[in-house]
Amino acid sequence: MHDTQAIRQLVLRGRRRDAIFAIIGLICMMIGILTLAVLLAGLIQDGAHRLNWSFFENFPSRRAEKAGILSAMVGSSLVMLITAATAIPFGIGAGIYLEEYARRSWVTNLIEVNVTNLAGVPSIIYGLLALSLFVYALDFGQSILSAGLTLALMILPVIIVSTREAIRAIPVSIREAAYGVGATRWQLVRDHILPYSAGGILTGVIIGLARAIGETAPIITIGALTFIAFLPASPISGEFPFINFEWLESPFTVMPIQMFNWLSRPQAAFQENAAAAGLVLVVMTLVMNGAAIWLRIRFRKRIKW
Amino acid sequence: MVEKNTMDMSLRVAAKDPSTETAPLAELKAEAKGLDFWYGDNQALKNINMRIDEFRVTALIGPSGCGKSTYLRCFNRMHDLQDNTRYGGQILFQPDGVNILDRSVDPIEVRMRIGMVFQKPNPFPKSIFENVAYGLRVRGQKNRAEIADRVEQALREASIWDEVRERLDDMAFNLSGGQQQRLCIARALATEPELLLFDEPTSALDPNATANIEDLIHRLKEKVTILIVTHNMQQAARVSDYTAFMYLGELVEFGATRGVFTNPAKKQTEDYITGRYG
Amino acid sequence: MTLNKNDLRRHLSGQFNADLDAIIGRVQVMGQLVLDQLRDALRALESNDGELAVQVVARDSEVNQLELGLDEACRDMLVQRQPAAGDLRLIFAVLKVVMDFERMGDLAKRVAKATLESAGAPQKRFGGAIVALGTSVLVLSNKALAAFVAFDGVAAAAIKQEDRAIDERCKEITAQLQSFIADQPDATAGALQLIWAARSLERFGDHAKNVAEYIFYAVYGKEIRHMNDEERTQWVALA
Repeated sequence: MHDTQAIRQLVLRGRRRDAIFAIIGLICMMIGILTLAVLLAGLIQDGAHRLNWSFFENFPSRRAEKAGILSAMVGSSLVMLITAATAIPFGIGAGIYLEEYARRSWVTNLIEVNVTNLAGVPSIIYGLLALSLFVYALDFGQSILSAGLTLALMILPVIIVSTREAIRAIPVSIREAAYGVGATRWQLVRDHILPYSAGGILTGVIIGLARAIGETAPIITIGALTFIAFLPASPISGEFPFINFEWLESPFTVMPIQMFNWLSRPQAAFQENAAAAGLVLVVMTLVMNGAAIWLRIRFRKRIKW
Repeated sequence: MVEKNTMDMSLRVAAKDPSTETAPLAELKAEAKGLDFWYGDNQALKNINMRIDEFRVTALIGPSGCGKSTYLRCFNRMHDLQDNTRYGGQILFQPDGVNILDRSVDPIEVRMRIGMVFQKPNPFPKSIFENVAYGLRVRGQKNRAEIADRVEQALREASIWDEVRERLDDMAFNLSGGQQQRLCIARALATEPELLLFDEPTSALDPNATANIEDLIHRLKEKVTILIVTHNMQQAARVSDYTAFMYLGELVEFGATRGVFTNPAKKQTEDYITGRYG
Repeated sequence: MTLNKNDLRRHLSGQFNADLDAIIGRVQVMGQLVLDQLRDALRALESNDGELAVQVVARDSEVNQLELGLDEACRDMLVQRQPAAGDLRLIFAVLKVVMDFERMGDLAKRVAKATLESAGAPQKRFGGAIVALGTSVLVLSNKALAAFVAFDGVAAAAIKQEDRAIDERCKEITAQLQSFIADQPDATAGALQLIWAARSLERFGDHAKNVAEYIFYAVYGKEIRHMNDEERTQWVALA
């Protein structure tokens, strides 16, 4: 029952199918990549010539060639600061609690399902919630604080889920090892869980922030202004007490809203401004995602289970 | 009958058998009394009564799912980490006679006195030094010189000092499997446990590494009581003084290892250790 | 835990069962050959048949070959199966029994040689007594072999008693031969050969008794060798 010819035929047929699938896969991938590349190329073509220092140093203006993104960038940065400062501790804390402390019961199961679903809720819904909660009920006004908290709320599920996944990747054997020598739950979390899951958690945090920085709808909902020709009070001052929190209550704008505003103008020159701002935004998110990848690789290298 | 026993004894002593030579000196270290254990509604251990002698090696054998690992894990309350588990009966730990299963006894307190070595080597992703020092840090030891001393002593006791003395700051993962397991033994020894639990410690290791660990167990029993689960019957015959055979959550037979392996009292034991249909 | 013969066929591994069966079969073959050797040696002595005696001497090498083969089978068993409990005791007993069989073969050869070298007056006078002694040894040995093959440990006690009677009988014959030598110094060589033969038969019986005791150990896990009578009866009664 030995027929070399037949075996070769069989192998050849298999190989041919391999090649066909490889080509199909390549086409699928290229469609995605090429679309992105064309988009980016379009942005560069339209907006690249507007990218000079004055574009970054100027406030928005009625005259397209004098308009800049200073207030939008500062606004975006400050909003991100609030978002990060609240979402990171709450998200990681909640994730650790759910993984390490909470007993399995129908309540935790319910919470679990809800947290996962929250990550899929349309962002404008967060805007509505924030409008009634932060802007009116808590009276934070249409401020940087409200915006930061809104975005924090939005990315909280992302951080919780990624924290839990990072913690779950730690093998049970490590937990047993720590408990086995007499560690308490807190010692386990502090000495093992947090250090070993830091890479995964940070990745989740960065991806969440990258999503938040491009978010428009909830910010518009809570009433961010589109035309801001001044900067909020600086958080750091030269006089005692050196730090102030007035900026929290300041009106603001952010990058995507600035873009939106320019896009809605009829003049071609403003369209160019929008493209240039879009370019800046894309680069910012790419850098953040790149940082996430880099962190993941770095932590992976140190820890292998 | 008495005459025969003394004759038996004198023959054994003449043969310089260490396990029986010191036999009369053995003190009780722990004792399971009417021990039951449940995973939810599923009773995994049924009325286990068994004594564990101090400075002896006691082996638990039995087919998969017989409850030997479950039993072992009662000793350091590892089941507390899982929801929906329940203990019944007692494990009295000497010399103070505390019932380590009692609700009022903190499992952390139990684990401070009873160390464990697991089936797969599970060093922390930290340096060799930090792995061994961790148990001391958990106990609030801050004195660096003291920690360094104890780490070295533990590594020596675990017969791995000569292999790692030059690279204590290396990651533990860079060691071979057998070295990692000895490192884990050192980690447990550093905290000077009174009882050391081994859960199939060599099932992931090659024969050389296995021989190393078995030799180590032989030496360790001078200063620590050992309870070991193994699915390798020859290993139980080699390293243990007493052997317990478990089946379907029950303790079927318990006795001196030589007797269990040459002339077991129960048919189930015989069938298991000789590879027969039950 | 006592070892039953049908336990040998209850292993999860069929090859294990087959190997053990084969070993027991070969023990039986070897034991039977040794007993045949003794029977032929006695026949040669009875009928002063030199040719048969030479045959017995020649066939001893067959016994030795069987010993080597069985040793190897037991070694394989130890290496491959690491037998425990009843299996361990059985292999251990087989290894010892094989040694005894080999010695028994040598002793049968010894009796045959005595036949060749003791022709004449001493043989005429004592041949009958020695054949009678040998016949009872043969009966005893048959029982021992049967007990071993049937895993009948209890038979050991009766065999021990019979062996004692044989020892007594041997002493008597030896004493008679000694006084015969004193009376007829010129027949010393032949008479000495017969003393040798009687002693060999007695030793043959001792080895057969060992065989029965090994099976007691294999079956019940208790060594009854070197026990005094009282203990031995106690233990056998327990079994």
